[in-house]
This record gives sequence, C-alpha cells and structure tokens, in this order.
Amino acid sequence: MPEKKDLQKDNEDIRIGVYTCYCGGNISDIVDCEKVRELTETLPNVVVSRTDMSMCSDAGQAMIEEDIRKHGVNRVVIGACAPSLHEQTFRGAVARAGLNPFLYYHVGIREQDSWVHHGNHEAATEKAIVLMNSGLAKARLLKPLKPIKLTAQKHALVIGGGVAGLRSAWDIANQDIKVTLVEKSPFLGGRMAQLETVFPTNKPARDSLHELIEKVIDHPSITIHTQAEVKSMSGYIGDFNIKIEQISRGVSSELADQEAVIDSCPVEVSDEFNYGLKTRKAIYQAYPGNFPSTLAIDWENCTLCGKCEKVNSSGIDLKKKSEIIDVNVGAVVVATGFKPYEPRQGEYGYGDFKEVITLPQMIRLLALNGKDKALMFKGRTVRNIGLIHCVGSRHVPGIHEPQEDGKVNDYCSRVCCTATLHMTNDIRQHYPDVNMYDVYEDIRTYGRNHEEYYKQASENLVRFVRFQAAEGPQVFASENGNDQPLVIKTKDYLTAGLDIEIPVDLVVLSVGFMPNPIEELTKILKINPGNDRFLQEVHPKLRPVETAVSGIILAGTAQGPMNIQESVTAASAAASKVSVLLGQGQVELEPFVADVDHDKCNGSGECVQVCPYEDAISLEEVTINGKVCKRAVVIPANCVGCGSCVSACPNRAIDIQGWTLGQYESMVDAIAEGMLALEVSA
Amino acid sequence: MSIRVDPDLLLEIKEYGDGEVETCFNCGNCTAICPFTTDDYPFPRNMIRLVQIGAKDKLKQSIDPWLCYYCGDCSQTCPRGAEPGEIMMSLRRWLTAQYDWTGLAKKFYTSKAWEIGSMVVLGLLVAFLALFLSGPIVTDQVELNTFAPVHIIHIADLILAGFLTFFIATNVFRMHKNIMWDGMDKKVPLKLYFTEAWELILHTLTQKRWIQCDEDKEEKEGISKWLTHLLMMSGYGLMLIMVVFFLNWFQTDEIYSFWHPQRLLGYYATAVLLFGSGSAIWGRIKKNTQLHRFSHLSDWIFPILLLAVSITGILIHSFRYFGLPIATYYTYIIHLAFVAPMLVLEVPFGKWSHLYYRPLAIYFQAIKEKAKQEQASAKTAPASAD
Repeated sequence: MPEKKDLQKDNEDIRIGVYTCYCGGNISDIVDCEKVRELTETLPNVVVSRTDMSMCSDAGQAMIEEDIRKHGVNRVVIGACAPSLHEQTFRGAVARAGLNPFLYYHVGIREQDSWVHHGNHEAATEKAIVLMNSGLAKARLLKPLKPIKLTAQKHALVIGGGVAGLRSAWDIANQDIKVTLVEKSPFLGGRMAQLETVFPTNKPARDSLHELIEKVIDHPSITIHTQAEVKSMSGYIGDFNIKIEQISRGVSSELADQEAVIDSCPVEVSDEFNYGLKTRKAIYQAYPGNFPSTLAIDWENCTLCGKCEKVNSSGIDLKKKSEIIDVNVGAVVVATGFKPYEPRQGEYGYGDFKEVITLPQMIRLLALNGKDKALMFKGRTVRNIGLIHCVGSRHVPGIHEPQEDGKVNDYCSRVCCTATLHMTNDIRQHYPDVNMYDVYEDIRTYGRNHEEYYKQASENLVRFVRFQAAEGPQVFASENGNDQPLVIKTKDYLTAGLDIEIPVDLVVLSVGFMPNPIEELTKILKINPGNDRFLQEVHPKLRPVETAVSGIILAGTAQGPMNIQESVTAASAAASKVSVLLGQGQVELEPFVADVDHDKCNGSGECVQVCPYEDAISLEEVTINGKVCKRAVVIPANCVGCGSCVSACPNRAIDIQGWTLGQYESMVDAIAEGMLALEVSA
Repeated sequence: MSIRVDPDLLLEIKEYGDGEVETCFNCGNCTAICPFTTDDYPFPRNMIRLVQIGAKDKLKQSIDPWLCYYCGDCSQTCPRGAEPGEIMMSLRRWLTAQYDWTGLAKKFYTSKAWEIGSMVVLGLLVAFLALFLSGPIVTDQVELNTFAPVHIIHIADLILAGFLTFFIATNVFRMHKNIMWDGMDKKVPLKLYFTEAWELILHTLTQKRWIQCDEDKEEKEGISKWLTHLLMMSGYGLMLIMVVFFLNWFQTDEIYSFWHPQRLLGYYATAVLLFGSGSAIWGRIKKNTQLHRFSHLSDWIFPILLLAVSITGILIHSFRYFGLPIATYYTYIIHLAFVAPMLVLEVPFGKWSHLYYRPLAIYFQAIKEKAKQEQASAKTAPASAD
C-alpha cells in the first residue's frame, strides 16, 4: 500500500509549481524565460511560477523544496536541460520536501529548444511555452509511483578466468559478496598467461598474474570452477538461477609423478598455449607453474588408452564425468575475453609460407627460443624480421575480404601497435644483430607513455615502412639465390610511394582482437554483441560496463580490444557496479514498467506474443470477484517498459506507469492547442 | 624498379657525422621550414628517408645535399632531435667519398688516424724534400729565392696543379655520371651544358643562394655567414692564382713599396683568410650557431690549415721585412709543410672539394630543370598545334 502522504484523493487539489531555468544564459539568451513564467503563472492549477539563473544549484533546489512545504505545491514541472542530466537531481529535491519524487516532470527546453533555435528568440520562446504547457498537462495526471525493490542475492557469478575475471572476482569478494568463478579451460590466467614481459611495467606478465591468481584461490568467498560452462539462466537482477556444467578433471590434485604421467601419453596434439609452435600430450599442463597445478585431461583428444593409468592408477580417472551445479546469484560478470585474429589462408603469405607467423606466436617463439643466443626458427637463424601491422584490424570494405560472417574487422585493435613495438625493443635487447622492419599503416601508441616504445624502436634501428590500405604489403617467396626465404613488397608512403622490397627470414603479423566465440552464452544471458561482434554496453560513456540486461555486467576484452591495464580497470569497474547493486541486499529499479488493469484485460494474450523479453509478461490465473480467469500479469523486474504490450493490447488495458496513454494524449492535445493558438495569434 | 632495402647504409652514413637518422619519424617539419626545398627537391626529409631504408643508388644520384647550406632551421624544428642539418652535412661527406674513386676521401672522413696521419706524413715529406733540395743558405741578407729557387717551386706547383686537375676531373666525372646519367631516365641535350654554364660561373663566384639561408635569422650576428665565407673564398682564390700561376711575380726577394699590387693583394688575401678561418674556428669552439654545433675532424682541419698557412705566410713576410734570413727560410719550409697537404689532400679528397662540387651541383640542377621544361613543352606543343 502506498504511504499516506502519497494517497492522492481524486478530488485533491492539483497544485503545480512551474520552474523555468535560465541555465546561466544557455536557455535565457534565446528563450524569454520571464515571458514563459508570466504566461504559465496564469494557467489552471499553477500555484507558483518561478525562474532562476540555475535551478539545479542548491538555492534553486531549496526554492522548490520551500514551495512544496510552504505553498502546498504537489506537482512540479521544471523547464531546464535534458532530463538525462538533472532528472535525478530534482527527484531528490522533491523527495526531500516530502513529496513523491515521481510527481515531478522535466521539460527539456535547452537541448530541444534554446540550443537548436539560435537567432530566433520569438519562436524559441513560443516553443518553450508550448512545451511547458504540455508538461503541465502531463503533470495534472501524474500519480505517485514507487521504485521496484527486489531482494538481491549477495552472490555474483564471474564468467572467465582471465585477468579481467580474476580481478573482478577479487574486487567483488572483498566487498563481502560471494563469488563463483567459472572458467571453460582447465587452467586460470587466460591470454595474459601466454605473454612474457609486458608494457608498461616491462615485467613478466605471469609474475603479476600469479600474484592475483594466488590471492583469488586463497580468498574464502571465491569458489572456482575450471572446465565449467554456464548452461542456462533464469530470473532477473538480484535473483538469477544459473546452471553450470562442470566436467571432471580426471586427475587428482595429489598426483605425484606428473612428468612420468605426461611422458607415458602417446597422443601428440597442437599446443594451444604456444599457438601451435609445439605439441603437447592429451594429459598435460598449460605451462610449468600454471594454476591449478594439477594436470588436466584433454577429453577431446584423449584416446583413453590407459597408459597414464598404468604409471599412476590412483591419481587418474579416465571416466569423463559431467555434473550440474546450481547457483543463485544477484549479478553476472561476463569476462569471456578475446582470441587473436587468425589470418586467412594466404593473407600476407600466412599458411603459404612457414616463415609467416602471428604476433602471439612470435611472443611464444621468443619465450621458447631463450634469450641471448641466436634466434632460431624452424632450424634457420633469423636475422631479418618483417612486422606487418593492422592484420585483422581496420579493414576496409571493398579492399579487405570479409570474414565468414560477411563482416570486415573495421575496428582498431588498439593493443597491437604498442605490443609490437614493445616486442621489437625486447628483440633488440636480446638479439642485437637482428634487422627489424615495421610495416605499418599508422602507429597508434595511444596509451600513457606508450609513445616511448615507438621512440625506443626508432632508436633501436627498427626501420619503419608505411603503407596505405589499398596498396598494402604483399609477401612473396624470394627468388633463388637470396639468403632470405621471403620478401615483403610494398609501396612506401614515406618515400613518396616508391616500391620497396624487404628481404626477410620471418614475417610477423600483428594480428588484432576477435571476441571469443560465445554465441551460446550470449543467447543464455540474452545479451547482444555490437556490429563488431564484441559485447555491447548500454552507453559507451555513461554506462560503459552495463549490458541492456540489468544485473549482467561486462569486464575486459569481451567488450572490445583492451590492454591488460584497461582490462583490469574495466574489471574493477564491473566489480564496483556489482558491489553497488548487491551490497544493500536489495535492488531498486525505476517504476516505469507495464501495469495491467485487470478489469479491462480479457486475457487475449496478445501482449505476451509481442513482448520481446522473457518472463516479463505472461497469462496467469487470477481471481476477480470470486471468478478465476486468465489475465496478463507483469513481472516488473523483467519488464523494461518498452511499451510493445501497450500498443498490442486490444482493450487498452495496459499502461506504462509514469507514461500512461492518458498522459501522452493530454500532452499531445496541449501541444496541438498551443500550436493552434499561435497560428490564430499570427 | 623497386628498391631493395639495405639496413647497413644508415650505419655507414652515421660514420660521416652526428645526425640521428634513426630517430626521424618522417613528419616533414624540416622540409616545411627549409628555405630551399622545392617539390622536386623536398630535402632534408627525402634524403633522411632514403638513408633509413638504405636506398644507396638513389642517394648517390641525389643533388639535394649540395643544395643545403646548413642554416640549421631544420635541426631546430625537428621534434625528434634527429639533427637533419647534420645529416645533410654527413651526406655531403658521404657523397664526396662516393665520387672519389681512390677511396682516400672515405678513409679521411671515417678514420681520424688516416686523416691526421696522412697530413703529417705529407707535411714532413715536403719539409724534408725542401730541406734536401734547398739551395745555399745566405745569412747576411734574406735571399729566399736563393734558398728556395722560385722556378723550382713553380715547377713543383705545376706538378701539383696537374695532380689536382687529374683527381678533381675524374671525381667530377663520376659525380656527373651519378647525377646526370644514372639519375635520369633520359640524357639531357648537350647544348644545355653550354646554355646553363653561366649558372656555374655565377654560383661559383657569388654563392648567392646562401644569402637566402641567412635571411630572417635571429642569430645573425654582425657580418653574415655568406659574406664571411665569400671573403674568405676570394682570399683563397686570389692566393691560389698568385701562388700557382704567378709565383715568379709573387715570391720575390725584393720588397716592393706598400702600394704595389703584389703587397696589397697579398695583404688583402691574408687578412680575409685570417678572418674567415679564425671566425670559423672561434665559432666551432663556441658552438653558438647551428652551423657550428657539430664539428667533424674535417671541419677542424679545414680552417686550422688555412690559419696555419696564413700565419706562416705572415711570418715569412715579416721575417723578410725585418731582415731575418734563417727565420725566413725555416718558416718557409713550415709554410710549405702546411700548404702541401692542404692542396694535395684536402682539395681533391677532403672538405675543400665542396668548392667545386657545390657549384657543379647547382649547375646540374639547372640543366636538369631546363631539360624537364623542354620535355614538358615538347609534349604540349603538338597538342596546341592542332
């Protein structure tokens, strides 16, 4: 039941306070605010009409509060900036004065009027009056509303065990919220584990990663499931029910003779940790010192030959088991990460020549080669390296071939420039005699101090060669008699477009970012990727880590190309969002959701058909006047107030609270009348 | 034809000076600020770029380095501290070494031991030879022409002139081949070499392009660099003509009256040589102008030899004037020991060579441009005839 002061009797006096803001000249320079005040003052139900230089100032807010308290104002109409800026501010002021905050309506006369009608004072003023009039029309029909309050589970699910997921989990857990972390692969650490020294610390990536992993593993509030995947989700913010499928590891954490067990396995498969530069067994570890330290069985490639069991029968169980774990969480963090772009066959010679590899492969090659001795690749000494930028990034339709899904990767992957230059400096340090050629379109070392790597690379005698997308580099086999197996041919735009040839031993493609393939998961979570296939936030500036589904938050490179620093920042942002949502134990949502008048509803169910959201509206059996009948029932937590059901209802039984059809109609009428009056006067 | 990159050229050219070719990121500020750059000669950027990728042939065929007078605006403007002005200087040295078929220029520019060593050896050799071959020493009065008979010295002069002509001519031929034959698709008509010859004379005598470089300079202090250089060159040229062609008239035991042209011309030449070489040395010590911030060994040897020759010349004249025979004779030998390496080593293989390479480059540029104009008008002519 509404509180007493919100109980507006039908015959209650509607007493409206009208406030027209100067916005420090932003509005008043164009709109004659005093005229707006004068005219609105005389309108029905208006008790006070005032102007102020800045209504959002403390003094302006205090003025409104005083009018509510002293003059009995019970509806507030404010003509000012866009509601996105100060609607919350004024709701606060109205609530402080003891009035229901939804008995206030905000009219945008800055973005919709003064800013777009420069030089036409009269018409702008007339428009402001018409808009204010329509706001008054709505205000007369405003009803008090209450925000939707939902109980929130103090438990979050983090999907992805890379640096973003780990960091989110750690930050959330430190706010006294339980965390369940699921990782699809058998090992934690994600892409970061595959890196060596990284910018901007110039320290080994795994050092800082392991520090974080150890903290996460030791945290009492965090439960980790590796080899686990989300299989289904129901519910809504504060109360999601999630089923996780957990595959058995097959190896006991107590298994002693790991080396011998690995050696016994006859299966050799491409080692994804080293991007195929090596092979591994079907019972394996990602790298020495990985987390968890227990070996894992690659169920896809294991032939179940049982040779490992012969070495150690107690620690190995070759029966693959799957178990479903149910969790009830208040929020979900999606930190599913990225994968490096895989060049197509023949792209810059990739796949055609064994000496063409990707940047992630190069990083692994350097790690496997060992430092301060000759750099070898497939038995040959590498003395000349060609690096090609923007492979799989900044593609131009018509120039670059589309991907399988018909799209081109038109985005910049942001990290590759700095990563490549950082690597060249590493190479120079450990292999001083290697010649390096950096074939680029633009160098985008955007991060703080990243330009330093570019400068260092220059000083390290890396030769820069600039191409344009339409006339990009091509990789050919060298003609016989050359020392180097490959030659990069390109037009160099720094040398007035001259054709140049670069003989090289190795071509490294600076490949961009692609989101991990998570179509299944996005369907389960009902979240959407953007045009670039990365998961999309609600608003890139104002709500950068939230998805369109309340309670599902993004972290890290699932959302777009980011470096480690940015991923961790995003992860912490996601964690703080989760903490704010769940910290109070309940979640408050705006009340602008569908509301069904069961007297008018006849249970036709058309609303249910058109509703784009799951579990937002459904036909339920209700008892009306002692009769059981089917009626549409809204679950406010799942409704976003889109209004589809309102337009579909044949009986006009549904309204969006705070935006009822009646309110719309009165506003439209007021605008029409205002226009008519203007025409008559003209 | 595409160019094959050569990573070693950059390192090679770095041996010729202090430029930081590798730090250049090709922004082009240097070219934008340069008073001489044109669409056809967008230096220093184009030159630096050719060094970066190692386009050796293109560089060898370039005139651009000779069109720069090192005002240093580019170095001041460079956001990366690449010192484009100094790179152009290095390229002039490198080009000199490329033109020179003997390989001596390269040795002198890239090895201090070679440069100083050969100067010293030649100086000592000349001194010993002069002592060995000298005539009787007359001590009661100064008889320089008895000690060093002028006709013998003159013969030595002419041998030296022949030697110089041979090396200069062969190196200039190579310069011409690089620029005018290898560097152009079409050979230019021979007549242009004659019609544009006045450019060569004009620029050799006036170096008027340099004036453009001195204009609007904040650092302009006192007399402009162009004028200092021109004065010094006039003194140098005058001395060269008097010593090589008119030694009989110039080296006399008889002391003429003050107003005699022999003495006046001698004083003028000596004064401007002293001033020019002295201010160059002073500038290089102070490093207060862009031109003088970096000093290669060859930049020091050049004015130091000039100064040494001038001072010993003054001393010979003074000792003779005051009737000090022994001092005159020995100073004369020291004088020869400075003059010989200066002429024999510096002019064909060292920094002196710029006195013909630079005007020749401007001459070649003029011929090329004329040829281009004629080609262009030849192309449009039939069209306009329709």
